[in-house]
Amino acid sequence: MSHSPSRRAVLGGLGLGLAACPFSLGRARAETAPQASALTAAPQAGTTSAADRIAPFGRFQAGIVTPRPAWGLVAAFDVIVDTPADLERLFRRLTERIAFLTSGGKVPELDPALPPADSGILGPELRPDALTVTLALGASLFEAHPWLSALRPVQLTRMTGFPNDALNPDLCHGDIAIQICANTQETIIHALRDLIKNLPDQLVLRWKQEGNVPVIPPQPAGVVESARNFLGFRDGSANPDSADGALLDRVLWVHDAAEPTWAKDGSYMAVRLIRNFVERWDRTPLAEQERIFGRTRITGAPLDKRHGTEADVPDYAADAEGTATPLDSHIRLANPRDAEGIKHLMLRRPFNYSNGVTKSGQLDQGLLFIAWQASLTDGFIAAQTRLNGEPLEEYIKPVGGGYFFALPGFGPGPDDYLGRQLIDAIGHAPQKT
Amino acid sequence: MKMLSLAATLAALATPLAAGEATLDLVAPIADYKLYVSENTEQLVADTSAFVAAVKAGEIDKAKALFAPTRLSYEKIEPVAELFADLDAPIDARADDYEKAEADPAFTGFHRLEYALWVEGKTDHVTAVADKLEADVTELAKRIDSLTFPPAVVVGGASVLMDEVAATKISGEEDRYSRTDLWDFQGNFDGAKKIVDLFGPMVEDRDFVASVEGNFGKVYDTLGKYREGDGFASYEKLTDEDRKRLSALVNTLAEDLSTLRARLGLS
Repeated sequence: MSHSPSRRAVLGGLGLGLAACPFSLGRARAETAPQASALTAAPQAGTTSAADRIAPFGRFQAGIVTPRPAWGLVAAFDVIVDTPADLERLFRRLTERIAFLTSGGKVPELDPALPPADSGILGPELRPDALTVTLALGASLFEAHPWLSALRPVQLTRMTGFPNDALNPDLCHGDIAIQICANTQETIIHALRDLIKNLPDQLVLRWKQEGNVPVIPPQPAGVVESARNFLGFRDGSANPDSADGALLDRVLWVHDAAEPTWAKDGSYMAVRLIRNFVERWDRTPLAEQERIFGRTRITGAPLDKRHGTEADVPDYAADAEGTATPLDSHIRLANPRDAEGIKHLMLRRPFNYSNGVTKSGQLDQGLLFIAWQASLTDGFIAAQTRLNGEPLEEYIKPVGGGYFFALPGFGPGPDDYLGRQLIDAIGHAPQKT
Repeated sequence: MKMLSLAATLAALATPLAAGEATLDLVAPIADYKLYVSENTEQLVADTSAFVAAVKAGEIDKAKALFAPTRLSYEKIEPVAELFADLDAPIDARADDYEKAEADPAFTGFHRLEYALWVEGKTDHVTAVADKLEADVTELAKRIDSLTFPPAVVVGGASVLMDEVAATKISGEEDRYSRTDLWDFQGNFDGAKKIVDLFGPMVEDRDFVASVEGNFGKVYDTLGKYREGDGFASYEKLTDEDRKRLSALVNTLAEDLSTLRARLGLS
């Protein structure tokens, strides 16, 4: 991950002053112009530290345009909430834990006759380790309560299956989703266990998937590359340019007049657990793999610029027949690089997962796909609809996930908390009966 | 449901909870609890005897009707099952505890008979299992009088049992053939609540006790919705919503009761 001018440019451009984002930039180093994929660049060994601190505060929640660290998980919960006061209590308690966990500090020492205050896996003193905790709400939460239903973000629905999906109900949906990201696996597990231990009366875990992205050796200054997925290809090359604040504003943050006012500066989250049939993939000729994706495997360069880099943009107008980049290749279907493609941008921020062995004795590996967008229908749903039937489907099988809505951000003041905008809106909303 | 505010709890818990109260007199509640276990064990022996007789006579319907009520008194004393772990396994282990599951010859006890009654639909091949069950519960009853009840085990048993309900019962895997899980829930909650009833009065923090009692009340309210006659509806009738609520209540009780030993000066 590059704690670089690019990150500052991104956050500055989004109105997050550095005063509100006191990360320790202990290793600022010379950088060239940021690349389009900086947010999802492969983390580089030796460039991160347990002292890395991402403040949770700001107009937007952390963990979305925060450069992706090596580890991440999504945990979906059902919540025990009967009244607006219950929901406010849930939000305030989550905020309290998030503020503590992301800033670090000493774990309280209790009477040794008691269970200890935390899991202990990070030792007696928590270090922030670039931890972010991002809270998003599912459609079922809004549907469950008459006092909430009128405030549902207009595009927030229960995820329905696409033609290649084989959704396992035990791995789908949830009243809320919590994304937890950090430099190390132990930090995300510690945070998850902390939330579960501290809010047992309101959080009932439905499913959880964690994953990581490969950490690559330190690169020469200015060199960033997208992290590879478990199919061996670089993933994220076509993400929106993280240095272009205006573009990210448009692509990521809800601002549509049709949306409830409280939802401004929130973002739609599409989560997909996509199993990869890695044995079959590894038996596929390299040239075919590359045609399926539309990129070279080694560098990620588009097929019409084989000797270029992953940052090069394919020229589909000059390749109308799909001779260089097949018309049904993954990248060409997902982003045709035309006016339509620009409309359908989203920010993909996935992690690779490796779970164990299937009944057939195959590896259960795949992608914890996480995409953020201002419009679910223009973003993930449009892109996935275009991808339906792609040749890659032979090698992948989505089995779970859900659609959620990430709340707008919150400030450090004692009266602010995650979800305050929604709670405030409940008082004014017409109730459906 | 209510959970004590974390900040307040941590502030209160940073110092020893029962300082200067090491002489807390636990003798009376321990004696009362032992009596409770003894009474339930006697009931268990009588009920098991009738259940086993029905199994051995091949009276499938009668045996099925007796299965859940017979188990009730055993589930009530489960908080202290670790005091008789060598009997708990043959009496109450599940198929998953054995490598060959239902086919494993070591799989005995209530759940082996449950499997015979509900899945295999016959009992002539499990006569020995039935005899062994009766012998095991009889042996358990014989032992209770001379068994030492360490206060830390008794008091800790309440949260241990809630942990077990949360980990392997709320999913409906205990009585998977008969779907009589809600009977077991009733027994487990009764057994854990008995400990709170007996030892709660000695806990200084009354808000804590009130919160725990409130959560037991909510558990019983939820279970009450599924009462049918003298017992309970099939576990399959439990709605997702109520399962979620029970799950949250059980986990909250487990967290809160995990502090009970310390609150009574036990370690």
